[in-house]
Amino acid sequence: MDATYIQESIEQLKTNIFMHVRHRTLLQYTGEPVLDENQLFYLLMPFLNGEKWNEQIHKSAITVGIVHASLSEHDKIDETNATSKEQQLTVLSGDYYSGRYYEILAQAGNIPLIKQLSEGIAVRCEHQIKVYEVNSLTLDNWYESISVVKTELIKRFYQVYGFEQYSTFMHTSLLLIQLQKELRNLQHGNKSLILEKMVESAAKEGQPLELLLQQKIDVLNDLLHEYLRSSTIKDELKLYIEQQISS
Amino acid sequence: MEKMKLKLLYSDLKADIDIIEKELEIALNSSSQLINDASLHLLQAGGKRIRPVFVLISAKFGQYNIDQVKNIAVPLELIHSASLVHDDVIDDSDLRRGRHTVKAQWNNRVAMYTGDFIFARALEYVTSIENPRVHQILAKTMVEICNGEVIQIEDKFRSNQNIKDYFRRIKRKTALLIESSCELGAVVSGLDDKNVRHLKQFGYFVGMSYQIVDDILDFTATDKELGKPAGSDLLQGNITLPILLLKDHPTISKFIELAANGEVTEQQRLEMLSIVRKSDAIKQSINVSNHYLRKALKEVDALPNHPMKKKLRDIALFIGKRKF
Repeated sequence: MDATYIQESIEQLKTNIFMHVRHRTLLQYTGEPVLDENQLFYLLMPFLNGEKWNEQIHKSAITVGIVHASLSEHDKIDETNATSKEQQLTVLSGDYYSGRYYEILAQAGNIPLIKQLSEGIAVRCEHQIKVYEVNSLTLDNWYESISVVKTELIKRFYQVYGFEQYSTFMHTSLLLIQLQKELRNLQHGNKSLILEKMVESAAKEGQPLELLLQQKIDVLNDLLHEYLRSSTIKDELKLYIEQQISS
Repeated sequence: MEKMKLKLLYSDLKADIDIIEKELEIALNSSSQLINDASLHLLQAGGKRIRPVFVLISAKFGQYNIDQVKNIAVPLELIHSASLVHDDVIDDSDLRRGRHTVKAQWNNRVAMYTGDFIFARALEYVTSIENPRVHQILAKTMVEICNGEVIQIEDKFRSNQNIKDYFRRIKRKTALLIESSCELGAVVSGLDDKNVRHLKQFGYFVGMSYQIVDDILDFTATDKELGKPAGSDLLQGNITLPILLLKDHPTISKFIELAANGEVTEQQRLEMLSIVRKSDAIKQSINVSNHYLRKALKEVDALPNHPMKKKLRDIALFIGKRKF
C-alpha cells in the first residue's frame, strides 16, 4: 500500500457514493455531491489498516458519505434568498440524499446504523445552528462545535463496527485540518459566521483570534504527532496523515 | 372551525392523539434553544394531524397497542413537519396557517438545520421498530416524496403539462405519505397482507382527494381562511387541476406568463380568482376528487367488519367535502 493506493480507495468510495445518489435533474442543476476527502479517508482508515471489512461495512461507509453530502447541500442555502431554481433544488438534493441513505440502510436491515446516524445528525444540527443563537460561547466551545460537525458521523460509524481505536486520530486530525482552513480564511479576509463568532470569543479572552488559532493548531499538531509516534497503525497511513495536515 | 369538526370526528381517539402530541414534543426536545424555539413554533401552529390519525385507525384493524403504534405515528408526523419547514424555504413562504414560517421568523439556514434535525429525530424515533419492512416502506416514501418535489419544480410554470403530470405530482407530494400512514399503521399492528393492501389503497385514494381539495381551496377560500393570499399556488408556478382545466382560457394563460415573470398585480390576482371561481373548473375538479373518494370508500367496504370502518368513511368524506 502506498499513497496512490490510498487515493484510489478514496476515489473508489467517492464513485460509489455518486452512483448511489445519482439523480438526473439534481445532477443537472446542483452538480455532484460535495465530499470531503479527508473525511472519506477516515471512513476507510480501518479498512486501509487491515481491519476486518466486508460488503456491509463498505456499504455503511458509503451511507455515511451520503449523509455528509446531504448536510453539505443544506450548508449551501443562502440565508435570505433561496428562490432560484438551483437553490430550490439544492434544498431537495439534501433531502433526497438523506432519503437515499435511509433507503440503502433500510434495504440492508441495518437499523443500528440508522439509529446511530440519525442521532449523530441531530447532534450535528444542534452544533451547526449555534452560530445563529444569541450566546456567549468560548473559543473552546466553538472548537468543539467544529469538531462535532466534522467528526460526529464518522464517530458513530466507528462505534457500530468497533473501530473506536481510530477515533482519536480522526478527531484530532479533522479538527486540525478545519482550524488550518479557518486560519487561512481569517488571514485572507474571507468572512464567515463562525469566524465572526470566534473573533468575538477571542476578543473576550483578550487576544487576537489569529494568535489563539495558531496556538490551538500547534497544540493539535503536537498531539497528533505524539499519537502517530506511539501508534501501531501502518506507516503508509501515518505518512498520509502527515501529508494531510501539512498540505 | 373545520379543524374543530375534524377533532370531533376522532374524539374517541383523543387519549391516543394526546399521547402522540406529547411524544412529538419529547421527540423535538433539543439541547439547542433555537431548535427548541423553532420546533415549538412549528408544533404550536398545529395542523390536523391527519397522518397520525390514519396510522391509529389503520392499526385498530389489527393487534392495537398504542406503545407500538406511536413509534410510527410520531415519525410520520415529524417527517411531514420537517418537509413543510424545507418547503417554505423552497416556496419562499413567510406564512403558514396564519403564522410566520421558521424561515421567516429566523432565516433559511435555520430552517434547513431545523428541518434536518426533525428528519433525524423522526428516523431516530422509528428505529425502535426493528421490522425492516417498516423502514423500507418509510424510506421509499421519503425518497419518492422528494422526487415529487423535484418534479414540481421542473413543472413550475410549464404550460404544456397535462392532467397526468398533475396526478403524478400530487401522488408523490401528498398521497404517498397518507398511503404509507395507513399501510404502516396496519403493518405494525400485524394485519394480514390483503387488508394491509386495502388500507394502503384507501390512503392513496384519500390522499389524492385531499390534495385536489386543497388545490381547489387555494382558489375558493379566502386569504384569511388560508392564512396566505388565495391563488398562491399559481403565483408560485404550481399549475393545479382547476388551472389545467382552464389553461386555454386567454386570461389564465396570460396570467401564467405574468406570474412566471413575477409581474402580477393585486388586481390581476383578484381577476384570476374571479374567473376560476366562476368557471366550471372548480366543479369538474370536485368531481375528480369525488371519484377518488368513491374509490377510497370501496376499499373501506372490502375491509372486515370493524367499528373503525365508519370512522374511516367519515374522515374520508370530511376530507373530501371540507370547505376549508
